[in-house]
Amino acid sequence: MFSTQIRDVDDFNPRRRRTLWNTPAASMLTTTTHTIRYPTSRKGHASAHQLSAKFEDLYGFMVEGNVDDVNVLNDVREKIREQGRVWWAVEASKGANWYLQPRISSNGGEGVISVTSLKLSVLTNTITLRRLIRKGVPPVLRPKVWLSVSGAAKKRSTVPETYYDELIRATEGKTTPATLQIDHDLPRTFPCHPWLNSEDGQAALRRVLVGYSFRDSEVGYCQGLNYVAALLLLVMKTEEDAFWMLAVLLENVLVNDCYTDNLSGCHVEQRVFKDLLAKKCPRIAAHLEAMGFDVSLVATEWFLCLFSKTLPSETTLRVWDVLFNEGAKVLFHVALAIFKMREEDLLRIQHIGDVIDILQTTAHHLYDPDEFLTFAFDKIGSMTTNTITKERKKQETVVMAELDQRIRRLSSLKMDG
Amino acid sequence: MAANAGNKIRNAKLVLLGDVGAGKSSLVLRFVKGQFVEFQESTIGAAFFSQTLAVNDETVKFEIWDTAGQERYHSLAPMYYRGAAAAIVVYDITNPASFTRAKKWVQELQAQGNPSTVVALAGNKADLLETRKVQIEEAKTYAQENRLFFMETSAKTAINVNDIFYEIAKRLLQGQPAQNPQAGMVLTQRPNERLVSASSCCS
Ligand SMILES: Nc1nc2c(ncn2[C@@H]2O[C@H](COP(=O)(O)OP(=O)(O)OP(=O)(O)O)[C@@H](O)[C@H]2O)c(=O)[nH]1
Ligand SMILES: [Mg+2]
Repeated sequence: MFSTQIRDVDDFNPRRRRTLWNTPAASMLTTTTHTIRYPTSRKGHASAHQLSAKFEDLYGFMVEGNVDDVNVLNDVREKIREQGRVWWAVEASKGANWYLQPRISSNGGEGVISVTSLKLSVLTNTITLRRLIRKGVPPVLRPKVWLSVSGAAKKRSTVPETYYDELIRATEGKTTPATLQIDHDLPRTFPCHPWLNSEDGQAALRRVLVGYSFRDSEVGYCQGLNYVAALLLLVMKTEEDAFWMLAVLLENVLVNDCYTDNLSGCHVEQRVFKDLLAKKCPRIAAHLEAMGFDVSLVATEWFLCLFSKTLPSETTLRVWDVLFNEGAKVLFHVALAIFKMREEDLLRIQHIGDVIDILQTTAHHLYDPDEFLTFAFDKIGSMTTNTITKERKKQETVVMAELDQRIRRLSSLKMDG
Repeated sequence: MAANAGNKIRNAKLVLLGDVGAGKSSLVLRFVKGQFVEFQESTIGAAFFSQTLAVNDETVKFEIWDTAGQERYHSLAPMYYRGAAAAIVVYDITNPASFTRAKKWVQELQAQGNPSTVVALAGNKADLLETRKVQIEEAKTYAQENRLFFMETSAKTAINVNDIFYEIAKRLLQGQPAQNPQAGMVLTQRPNERLVSASSCCS
């Protein structure tokens, strides 16, 4: 069944494909490429648990972990296959492109239909899709599903077919502060990934990032986007699709101005996050506050890289599945969950360094996306996009005033100096 | 981690500031793990490390914040330098713009930070002598004028990397009664060892 699906995906806009990440999707899902083989039984080899192994994860990243991690990843591969069968079964009953139909969008974005024309089938499709996506989009279907549910396909359909190629042509031979910074960062973007470490991979990443910096000169290039775009390339397989996902992410999915100029959007998200932590995990928030630990110290990177530098790749992409379908509120769920999972340990800790160690170690080892996402949704409790929008509005004014004051202080410094 | 018996441990927050690609992360990696990688991932927001150092019979536990260098991350910096006992402002000796940026950081620290913060200036990539653009005299003069202590470092060859951290530790401990003023600072035998053992102390 996978082979049929792969052919489908390969047939998807072959003309406009520029570069392909060459690891075939099928082998990605079926082979385990450990550098060392370890006992597959979880019990019996107690000492093996402590052994650290270097292995390739589902998206080709070289990671370090222990035997349990390897086993969990194998289970995850199996679950992905099962989840794939569920998706094909739904396809068989609803038709191949059932999720490309209009739907009720929780993003309030593209493809929204009015309540008066609401048909029962649309409603059930929306619900089914949401449930399925929360359980994970099979890697081979991700490009198609993401383009559709995020609104990226719609965005692309509003411009001529040649838009991306022309954009890239227009950037050729041009040097800007953004291109200089991008060139500096290309070899520094997930150098542990073989394709991203190759000439082809870096050339593709460069075109996507440079292309976007010309599309939106206000964003230009912000460090952090390199990691996001790199992971998008690995998932979407074609540069152009990765480009459109980046566009929809920055222009529609995430908070405004997350990556522009002084990162004001990022400051807003951090404040919203702090408020949510105080509401949802009051004990942790109070304890950290008493220690003088500002949660933004760790959470800034989470929100700017959308967890791509924090969580294992498949777990990150499961978060992105929900991100593209339901919006940025999932980022708060995930960030809160990382704290909440270790509540008791965090409450015992007295040193800032230990807090960071715990959070980082926990996040790096979240190889089981199902367990983690279930926790993130069930244990954190519901939040609506509306509440978050309201909360952002409130914080925006504060952030703007703060940044303004800072700029004035700094410019007065320069006058003195 | 077993602390040396009878040894006072002093926690010290240390922040690294400087232009993008100056080598902040590389300096920290060299100091904390004794490693150098050709392509160090760019830092987003900041990264945290800790490392313990023995100076005479006292121990300093550095809590190190390695910040991101891109200009737009500037607005996040106060969160990291607030309350810092020490700061290392890093520039790249082959890149004059990074030296200009370093001066701006020094100025900001002097105006916004704590006046008792120990500030060090590191001219990094000192192994790249053929492509040097910032003269050592110029940096030295600037450092003297601004009461910073200054070293040229190389995260690649490890030159002066441990030294700059030891010098900071020493200065942090100054003002406290020195019990054994003759003994010099003791370098870690193996840089990836987190704690200097008591036996290597005061030898
Ligand atoms: N030759 C030489 N190269 C160095 C040295 N220190 C760092 N580099 C290289 O310079 C590049 C940037 O180093 P980083 O340590 O990532 O710089 P950074 O200041 O942390 O950069 P950002 O995190 O982007 O702000 C890397 O490719 C390093 O390998 C050095 O002492 N000598
Ligand atoms: Mg860095």
